[in-house]
Amino acid sequence: MKLKRRPRNPQSETIIALIDVVFFLLVFFMLIGRMDATAPFDVAPPQAQTGRDMPAGGITLAISQDGDLALDGTEITKTDLPAALASQLAQKPEMRLRINAHRDADLRHVLPQVSQAEALGFLDVVLVVTPERSVRGQP
Amino acid sequence: MILSRRKRPSALISLVPMIDVMLILLVFFMVTSTYLNLDMIPALRPAEGAAAASKTPEVRLMIRLQADGTPSLRGEALSPPALAQILQKALEEDPTAQMVILPSGSAPTQALISLMDLAATAGVQNMRVLRLEARQ
Repeated sequence: MKLKRRPRNPQSETIIALIDVVFFLLVFFMLIGRMDATAPFDVAPPQAQTGRDMPAGGITLAISQDGDLALDGTEITKTDLPAALASQLAQKPEMRLRINAHRDADLRHVLPQVSQAEALGFLDVVLVVTPERSVRGQP
Repeated sequence: MILSRRKRPSALISLVPMIDVMLILLVFFMVTSTYLNLDMIPALRPAEGAAAASKTPEVRLMIRLQADGTPSLRGEALSPPALAQILQKALEEDPTAQMVILPSGSAPTQALISLMDLAATAGVQNMRVLRLEARQ
Protein backbone atom coordinates (compact mmCIF):
# COMPACT_ATOMS: atom_id res chain seq x y z
CA MET A 1 0.00 0.00 0.00
CA LYS A 2 1.30 3.38 -0.90
CA LEU A 3 0.93 6.05 1.73
CA LYS A 4 0.72 9.59 0.51
CA ARG A 5 2.46 12.23 2.56
CA ARG A 6 0.24 15.15 3.22
CA PRO A 7 1.63 18.33 1.68
CA ARG A 8 2.98 20.73 4.29
CA ASN A 9 1.40 24.11 4.73
CA PRO A 10 3.58 27.11 4.04
CA GLN A 11 5.38 28.25 7.22
CA SER A 12 5.05 31.99 6.69
CA GLU A 13 2.23 32.51 9.21
CA THR A 14 4.06 30.89 12.11
CA ILE A 15 7.19 32.86 11.27
CA ILE A 16 5.27 36.12 11.47
CA ALA A 17 4.14 35.26 15.00
CA LEU A 18 7.74 34.54 15.93
CA ILE A 19 8.87 37.85 14.46
CA ASP A 20 6.20 39.65 16.49
CA VAL A 21 7.36 38.09 19.73
CA VAL A 22 11.03 38.75 19.02
CA PHE A 23 10.25 42.32 18.02
CA PHE A 24 8.34 42.98 21.25
CA LEU A 25 11.19 41.51 23.28
CA LEU A 26 13.66 43.66 21.38
CA VAL A 27 11.71 46.85 22.06
CA PHE A 28 11.27 45.82 25.71
CA PHE A 29 14.99 45.38 26.28
CA MET A 30 15.79 48.58 24.38
CA LEU A 31 13.47 50.57 26.64
CA ILE A 32 14.28 48.86 29.92
CA GLY A 33 18.02 48.48 29.50
CA ARG A 34 20.36 51.14 30.71
CA MET A 35 23.57 51.18 28.75
CA ASP A 36 26.25 52.69 30.87
CA ALA A 37 29.97 52.65 31.21
CA THR A 38 30.63 49.83 33.61
CA ALA A 39 33.60 49.80 35.89
CA PRO A 40 36.38 47.27 35.35
CA PHE A 41 35.77 46.07 38.92
CA ASP A 42 32.70 45.08 40.89
CA VAL A 43 30.84 47.98 42.48
CA ALA A 44 27.79 47.42 44.68
CA PRO A 45 26.37 50.85 45.51
CA PRO A 46 25.11 51.50 49.04
CA GLN A 47 21.43 51.22 49.85
CA ALA A 48 19.30 54.23 50.68
CA GLN A 49 15.59 54.81 50.94
CA THR A 50 15.65 58.57 50.43
CA GLY A 51 17.56 58.61 47.14
CA ARG A 52 16.14 60.56 44.21
CA ASP A 53 15.78 59.39 40.64
CA MET A 54 19.04 59.72 38.85
CA PRO A 55 18.86 61.73 35.64
CA ALA A 56 21.02 60.75 32.71
CA GLY A 57 24.18 62.57 31.77
CA GLY A 58 27.41 63.44 33.49
CA ILE A 59 30.48 61.41 34.17
CA THR A 60 30.75 58.48 36.54
CA LEU A 61 33.60 57.94 38.94
CA ALA A 62 33.52 54.37 40.23
CA ILE A 63 35.37 53.50 43.44
CA SER A 64 36.04 49.88 44.30
CA GLN A 65 36.09 48.35 47.75
CA ASP A 66 39.88 48.69 47.81
CA GLY A 67 39.85 52.29 46.59
CA ASP A 68 40.64 51.68 42.92
CA LEU A 69 39.20 54.34 40.63
CA ALA A 70 37.58 54.22 37.21
CA LEU A 71 36.35 57.23 35.27
CA ASP A 72 33.57 56.36 32.82
CA GLY A 73 34.62 52.73 32.76
CA THR A 74 38.34 53.30 32.33
CA GLU A 75 40.65 52.63 35.24
CA ILE A 76 42.55 55.71 36.36
CA THR A 77 45.11 56.48 39.05
CA LYS A 78 44.61 59.01 41.82
CA THR A 79 47.42 61.08 40.29
CA ASP A 80 45.81 61.30 36.85
CA LEU A 81 42.28 61.86 38.10
CA PRO A 82 42.38 65.65 38.77
CA ALA A 83 43.61 66.42 35.24
CA ALA A 84 40.98 64.13 33.71
CA LEU A 85 38.21 65.73 35.78
CA ALA A 86 39.44 69.23 34.99
CA SER A 87 39.43 68.54 31.24
CA GLN A 88 35.87 67.20 31.45
CA LEU A 89 34.79 70.25 33.41
CA ALA A 90 36.46 72.58 30.92
CA GLN A 91 34.30 71.10 28.15
CA LYS A 92 31.08 71.52 30.12
CA PRO A 93 31.17 73.68 33.28
CA GLU A 94 27.82 72.38 34.61
CA MET A 95 28.96 68.77 34.28
CA ARG A 96 27.49 66.37 36.84
CA LEU A 97 29.89 64.02 38.61
CA ARG A 98 28.34 60.77 39.81
CA ILE A 99 30.38 58.97 42.42
CA ASN A 100 29.55 55.29 42.40
CA ALA A 101 31.38 53.94 45.42
CA HIS A 102 31.24 50.37 46.67
CA ARG A 103 29.17 50.13 49.83
CA ASP A 104 32.08 48.60 51.75
CA ALA A 105 34.68 51.09 50.51
CA ASP A 106 36.33 53.03 53.31
CA LEU A 107 35.31 56.67 53.44
CA ARG A 108 38.98 57.68 53.21
CA HIS A 109 38.76 56.55 49.56
CA VAL A 110 35.46 58.31 48.85
CA LEU A 111 35.31 61.64 50.71
CA PRO A 112 38.61 62.99 49.33
CA GLN A 113 37.17 62.56 45.82
CA VAL A 114 34.15 64.68 46.78
CA SER A 115 36.43 67.37 48.22
CA GLN A 116 38.65 67.23 45.17
CA ALA A 117 35.68 67.60 42.82
CA GLU A 118 34.48 70.58 44.83
CA ALA A 119 37.94 72.14 44.70
CA LEU A 120 38.07 71.66 40.93
CA GLY A 121 34.79 73.54 40.55
CA PHE A 122 32.18 70.81 40.18
CA LEU A 123 28.84 72.17 41.37
CA ASP A 124 26.84 69.00 40.93
CA VAL A 125 28.30 65.97 42.68
CA VAL A 126 26.02 63.08 43.59
CA LEU A 127 26.54 59.75 45.32
CA VAL A 128 24.99 56.78 43.54
CA VAL A 129 22.77 54.60 45.75
CA THR A 130 20.28 51.85 45.18
CA PRO A 131 16.92 51.32 46.85
CA GLU A 132 17.14 47.59 46.26
CA ARG A 133 17.95 45.09 48.93
CA SER A 134 20.09 42.82 46.81
CA VAL A 135 22.50 43.97 44.19
CA ARG A 136 24.03 41.98 41.37
CA GLY A 137 26.94 39.97 42.66
CA GLN A 138 25.91 40.49 46.27
CA PRO A 139 23.78 38.22 48.46
CA MET B 1 -4.05 43.98 -31.33
CA ILE B 2 -4.17 43.35 -27.67
CA LEU B 3 -0.88 43.37 -25.91
CA SER B 4 -0.92 41.49 -22.73
CA ARG B 5 1.65 42.45 -20.13
CA ARG B 6 3.59 39.59 -18.91
CA LYS B 7 2.76 38.81 -15.33
CA ARG B 8 5.61 39.49 -12.98
CA PRO B 9 6.44 36.72 -10.62
CA SER B 10 5.52 37.77 -7.10
CA ALA B 11 8.57 39.00 -5.27
CA LEU B 12 9.49 36.77 -2.38
CA ILE B 13 11.36 38.50 0.40
CA SER B 14 13.05 36.08 2.63
CA LEU B 15 12.33 36.78 6.29
CA VAL B 16 15.18 34.67 7.57
CA PRO B 17 17.89 37.42 7.45
CA MET B 18 15.55 39.83 9.23
CA ILE B 19 14.89 37.29 11.97
CA ASP B 20 18.63 36.73 12.28
CA VAL B 21 19.31 40.45 12.68
CA MET B 22 16.51 40.85 15.21
CA LEU B 23 17.71 37.91 17.25
CA ILE B 24 21.24 39.28 17.28
CA LEU B 25 19.94 42.69 18.41
CA LEU B 26 17.79 41.04 21.06
CA VAL B 27 20.70 39.07 22.48
CA PHE B 28 22.85 42.22 22.41
CA PHE B 29 20.35 44.24 24.41
CA MET B 30 19.73 41.36 26.82
CA VAL B 31 23.45 41.02 27.52
CA THR B 32 24.36 44.71 27.72
CA SER B 33 21.37 45.86 29.74
CA THR B 34 21.88 46.79 33.37
CA TYR B 35 18.99 46.15 35.69
CA LEU B 36 20.24 48.05 38.71
CA ASN B 37 17.72 50.51 39.99
CA LEU B 38 19.99 53.46 40.74
CA ASP B 39 19.15 56.60 42.67
CA MET B 40 21.30 59.46 43.84
CA ILE B 41 22.00 61.50 46.93
CA PRO B 42 23.49 64.97 46.44
CA ALA B 43 26.98 65.24 47.90
CA LEU B 44 27.45 68.97 47.33
CA ARG B 45 24.80 71.60 47.95
CA PRO B 46 26.49 74.94 47.36
CA ALA B 47 23.26 76.96 47.15
CA GLU B 48 21.85 75.50 50.35
CA GLY B 49 25.21 75.85 52.04
CA ALA B 50 25.32 79.57 51.28
CA ALA B 51 21.78 80.04 52.55
CA ALA B 52 22.47 78.08 55.69
CA ALA B 53 25.62 80.07 56.38
CA SER B 54 23.63 83.29 56.62
CA LYS B 55 21.36 81.83 59.29
CA THR B 56 23.09 80.15 62.18
CA PRO B 57 21.03 77.27 63.60
CA GLU B 58 20.35 77.29 67.32
CA VAL B 59 20.79 73.55 67.66
CA ARG B 60 23.77 71.79 66.18
CA LEU B 61 24.41 68.11 66.63
CA MET B 62 27.86 66.69 66.01
CA ILE B 63 27.50 63.02 65.15
CA ARG B 64 30.67 61.01 64.90
CA LEU B 65 30.73 57.97 62.70
CA GLN B 66 33.03 55.40 64.21
CA ALA B 67 35.26 53.06 62.23
CA ASP B 68 32.80 50.20 62.61
CA GLY B 69 30.01 52.38 61.24
CA THR B 70 28.29 53.09 64.56
CA PRO B 71 27.12 56.69 65.06
CA SER B 72 27.91 58.34 68.37
CA LEU B 73 26.89 61.57 70.04
CA ARG B 74 29.04 63.05 72.81
CA GLY B 75 30.99 59.81 73.03
CA GLU B 76 27.92 57.63 73.42
CA ALA B 77 27.23 55.03 70.71
CA LEU B 78 23.66 55.19 69.46
CA SER B 79 21.36 52.74 67.78
CA PRO B 80 19.44 54.02 64.71
CA PRO B 81 16.09 54.32 66.60
CA ALA B 82 17.75 56.19 69.47
CA LEU B 83 19.43 58.56 67.04
CA ALA B 84 16.19 59.14 65.15
CA GLN B 85 14.52 60.04 68.44
CA ILE B 86 17.28 62.53 69.31
CA LEU B 87 17.05 64.09 65.86
CA GLN B 88 13.30 64.47 66.08
CA LYS B 89 13.61 66.08 69.50
CA ALA B 90 16.21 68.50 68.15
CA LEU B 91 13.99 69.36 65.19
CA GLU B 92 11.05 70.05 67.50
CA GLU B 93 13.27 72.48 69.37
CA ASP B 94 14.65 74.09 66.22
CA PRO B 95 13.36 73.11 62.76
CA THR B 96 16.57 74.42 61.22
CA ALA B 97 18.76 72.27 63.46
CA GLN B 98 22.02 71.37 61.82
CA MET B 99 23.51 67.92 61.84
CA VAL B 100 27.24 67.75 61.37
CA ILE B 101 28.68 64.34 60.59
CA LEU B 102 32.30 63.67 61.37
CA PRO B 103 33.07 60.28 59.84
CA SER B 104 36.06 58.10 60.52
CA GLY B 105 38.10 57.41 57.39
CA SER B 106 37.81 53.70 58.10
CA ALA B 107 34.00 53.70 58.25
CA PRO B 108 32.29 52.04 55.29
CA THR B 109 30.42 54.15 52.74
CA GLN B 110 27.20 52.31 53.57
CA ALA B 111 27.37 53.57 57.18
CA LEU B 112 27.53 57.21 56.06
CA ILE B 113 24.72 56.75 53.54
CA SER B 114 22.57 55.01 56.18
CA LEU B 115 23.20 57.86 58.60
CA MET B 116 22.29 60.47 55.97
CA ASP B 117 19.25 58.38 55.10
CA LEU B 118 18.16 58.27 58.73
CA ALA B 119 18.59 62.02 59.11
CA ALA B 120 16.67 62.75 55.92
CA THR B 121 13.85 60.47 57.09
CA ALA B 122 13.76 62.28 60.45
CA GLY B 123 13.39 65.58 58.61
CA VAL B 124 16.86 67.08 58.94
CA GLN B 125 17.42 69.50 56.08
CA ASN B 126 20.62 71.10 57.21
CA MET B 127 23.32 68.46 57.09
CA ARG B 128 27.06 68.69 56.61
CA VAL B 129 29.76 66.08 56.33
CA LEU B 130 33.11 67.13 57.73
CA ARG B 131 36.40 65.61 56.81
CA LEU B 132 39.56 66.12 58.77
CA GLU B 133 42.69 66.35 56.68
CA ALA B 134 46.20 65.72 57.89
CA ARG B 135 48.30 68.87 57.87
CA GLN B 136 51.11 68.62 55.31
